[in-house]
Amino acid sequence: MPKRYDVIVIGGGHNGLVTAAYLARAGKKVLVLERRPRVGGAAVTEEIFPGFKFSMFSYVVSLLRPEIIRDLDLPRHGLHILPLESTVTPMENGDYLAAWADHDDTRRELYRHSPRDAEAYDEYGHLMHFMAQAVKPILGMVPPDPTSFAPGDLAALFRLGKHFRGLGAERLHALVKLMTMSSADFLDEWFETDVLKATKSASGIIGTFLGPRSPGTAYVLLHHYMGELDGVFRAWGFAKGGTGALSESIASAARAFGAEIRCDAGVAKVLLRGRRATGVVLENGDEIAASIVVSSLDPRRTFLQLLEPSHLPPDFVADIKRFKFRGSSGKVNLALDGLPTFTCMPDGAGGKLHRGAVSISPSLDYVERAYDDAKYGEFSRRPYMDIVFPSMIDPGMAPPGKHVMSIFVQYAPYHLNGGWTDAQREAFGDAVVNTVESFAPGFKSKILHRQVITPVDIERITGLSEGNIFAGELALQQLFFLRPAPGWAKFATPIRGFYQCGSGTHPGGGIMGASGRLAAMRILKDGK
Amino acid sequence: MSPPRQSRYDAIVIGAGANGLVAAHYLARAGKRVLVVEQRESLEAGLDVGWVPAQVVRELQLDQHGFRLEQPDPWVSVSLDGAGGLQLWREMSKSVEAIRRISPADAAQWPEFCERMRTLASVLEKLYLAPPPDIETRNPRELARIGGLGLFVRRLGKQAVIDLARILPMSIADLLDEWFESDILKGVLGAVGVWHLKQGPRSGGTAFNFLHHHVGCALGVFRPPQSNLREALAAAGGVGGRSGPEMMFNNEAALRLASDGRAAGVTLLQRREQIDAPLVVSSESPRAALSSLGLHLDPEFVRALDHIKCRGVVAHARLSAEYAARVRNRCVAPSLEYLERAYDDSKYGRDSHRPYVETDGAGRVHIQYVPFTDQQRDVQSLRTLGSSVADALGVPAGALTIETPDDLEREYNLTEGHLYHGELTLDQILFMRPVPGWSRYRTPIEGLYLCGSGTHPGGGIPGAAGRNAAREIL
Repeated sequence: MPKRYDVIVIGGGHNGLVTAAYLARAGKKVLVLERRPRVGGAAVTEEIFPGFKFSMFSYVVSLLRPEIIRDLDLPRHGLHILPLESTVTPMENGDYLAAWADHDDTRRELYRHSPRDAEAYDEYGHLMHFMAQAVKPILGMVPPDPTSFAPGDLAALFRLGKHFRGLGAERLHALVKLMTMSSADFLDEWFETDVLKATKSASGIIGTFLGPRSPGTAYVLLHHYMGELDGVFRAWGFAKGGTGALSESIASAARAFGAEIRCDAGVAKVLLRGRRATGVVLENGDEIAASIVVSSLDPRRTFLQLLEPSHLPPDFVADIKRFKFRGSSGKVNLALDGLPTFTCMPDGAGGKLHRGAVSISPSLDYVERAYDDAKYGEFSRRPYMDIVFPSMIDPGMAPPGKHVMSIFVQYAPYHLNGGWTDAQREAFGDAVVNTVESFAPGFKSKILHRQVITPVDIERITGLSEGNIFAGELALQQLFFLRPAPGWAKFATPIRGFYQCGSGTHPGGGIMGASGRLAAMRILKDGK
Repeated sequence: MSPPRQSRYDAIVIGAGANGLVAAHYLARAGKRVLVVEQRESLEAGLDVGWVPAQVVRELQLDQHGFRLEQPDPWVSVSLDGAGGLQLWREMSKSVEAIRRISPADAAQWPEFCERMRTLASVLEKLYLAPPPDIETRNPRELARIGGLGLFVRRLGKQAVIDLARILPMSIADLLDEWFESDILKGVLGAVGVWHLKQGPRSGGTAFNFLHHHVGCALGVFRPPQSNLREALAAAGGVGGRSGPEMMFNNEAALRLASDGRAAGVTLLQRREQIDAPLVVSSESPRAALSSLGLHLDPEFVRALDHIKCRGVVAHARLSAEYAARVRNRCVAPSLEYLERAYDDSKYGRDSHRPYVETDGAGRVHIQYVPFTDQQRDVQSLRTLGSSVADALGVPAGALTIETPDDLEREYNLTEGHLYHGELTLDQILFMRPVPGWSRYRTPIEGLYLCGSGTHPGGGIPGAAGRNAAREIL
């Protein structure tokens, strides 16, 4: 007699695990099914080369909702965040721009570039802090449906209107600007130093197929700002042991609440009886029954792969088909014999440089040109890169004296002209390495091993469609009550008993866990 | 020569553009003595591009003064490489037939696309004929008006609500890719999405710009009409027994303030003459109208003025009569990628190597992107631009006289050569236009109002801002 589960969660990424943990905590009998040999999805730590461990895809943590950390007591399950304290941007003229952990140091550094910008910096910081606070309640709410006349939706819309009016005129205007402007234009209103604008705007392009001058990127800038300020973590950081350790801690919490997690168990289809989910069938043909099935996969896989389109309303299928992914990011993971020396800061500021991030974003035009390449189907010849050396902060990641270097790269378009071949992947890796070399001569000779990950690889390994790291673009027309489709942004689906909880739902993107938590809340509410 | 003047006026309108004239007529109609001061020697020749709201025509009785609309049919023509051309017509079935020849799938989509866009444009029309909603208000009447707008939208149906939220922030490229497959068709439609924007068709918000320029157009027509609005307004005297506004040309007017900081009238710069009026209405761009008053303004307000994105990217040209008739309503934007590449050049401060070019029925040419530079333009670059435009249209370079945004700024006092006094991006419309918090035609200077394209609802709708401003003043 097979075991009977209340809930099956498809996919053991961080959102799936969060959903499972919350449901198990509420007393449900939960089974998580993960296709890969380990949980984590895109938040995994793997020993790619002997002795060298990498956060293979997602590599920094900051957006994870504090209430999740609290509710699931994640520190007890091994979560330990090590702060990432600085950002250094090498410039083409040999100079640099640095932001340090110490606020006064940062101000002094900015002053060196522009006294005006140093003055504006604090005011800008306050505004962004406030805006992030203003948007935060929305991250924790189920999006109301503006087309519905249901009292619950009307009330929620009314509350939302009241919330925004409560911000006051000035901040409301700032919010409109953040929602609609390009990050370059938005930053232009504040700063004059090009390299500062370039480095700040970079967080507006991460994971999107847009350049810093494209409207819509200011929102992504804000999205990335929310973690920087959020309660527990005041800065971006690493999970000790890599992002995989973060996933493991959520998994451990889920297990402690009684959830069962099965790896190497890919789900082929959701089983239906009429228009109701009754369980799943695994890739190996096994069937497992449950009264509720939750998918943490992205919307395309959830609806077009786990189900037959014929089971769904045609309009809904059309909406899901036009949901945009367009992966634009790649990753290069390197095992190093020693740390690279950057021309702009040969002494590495006494180790501070390598303990923080190095941003290859020397000017707005540089980043914009990187986008131009991708727009027409090429990878950036000189890409934007966010570089970190996790072994500097967490020595366990590499053998003694050696280092790991993680390079997040943009742009690497999923739809590359001629397609991604092995040769193209290596050419992309070469472009990355050569660009770093131009800022840190001699760096190439320190490379022991190299792993190049393209959007196609991200898709193949993690299952994220088109390799989009947010499980669907964070564009205004794909947010809130439109994520993933109008009318279906409340974690339910047209199939009864079948729910969605991945980053492709509101609020989406980053290791945030908010989607997973909100989905669990919704399921528990429906079950009452 | 100027006509004999009253010594004192109730209102002075600066600038005899469409919005200035419309505002002046509305004020005069309400019994005010109005003077319009224009720095140019006469009314600028040529037609006004865009929807003239029916209310303006009716209320100012323009039909009696020779007002006419130009609505070409076909409204656009594209030549195809060695395969004739694509013409789009005012009659839906003719367009469908024409599109079928290049793509049966697109022809099948065309009617529904047109319907959906028309519905959205009707929402904008409603928004454009009144001051922008004041979202901070506690005034019950304004709240009721906003509620009414909300209800209007919801009555249009579920699809319209979703479209409105979904489509406005989109890029025109994404929108068109959802509907059509033909590069030619997408190029023709996409071009409107980037009109007067320093953005390419893949930039968010260009779908809104597309709809903005669909306002007032007939179903299935995606080029705004043209009219002789200014000519008709100049011919119109008073309405309903009142006398019309007086006109004074060839005079540059500067706002004059009273000792208490209120507007007191204008100083005519060339004549060093003062004219008094308690009300001054400027149809200039917000920055041109206000930046000289820096000392009298709050620094935050001045900062907001400086932040108005107003990056001229459109050059105009006139075609000699001989060629004007040959290339009417011709659009050269063969694909979205063509437009995007044209935009790429402008990002780095260069003229488009291969610009988007479009002619109207009267020999006027729209050329995009030609970024404003504020620098001495060398002869060679102008020649290069001329020959690429000439190539695109298949006319000799000598048949063109080009005015760049730099010329437009010099000639017409257009800030950064931007015809709309401010780009129509989502952060610069409704209650954000011209600057956040000052969207109701008032300014921090008491007695000074704005009524130009830099105010709601913006450029491309001649007379709407002028009418809204006048009604707000009254």
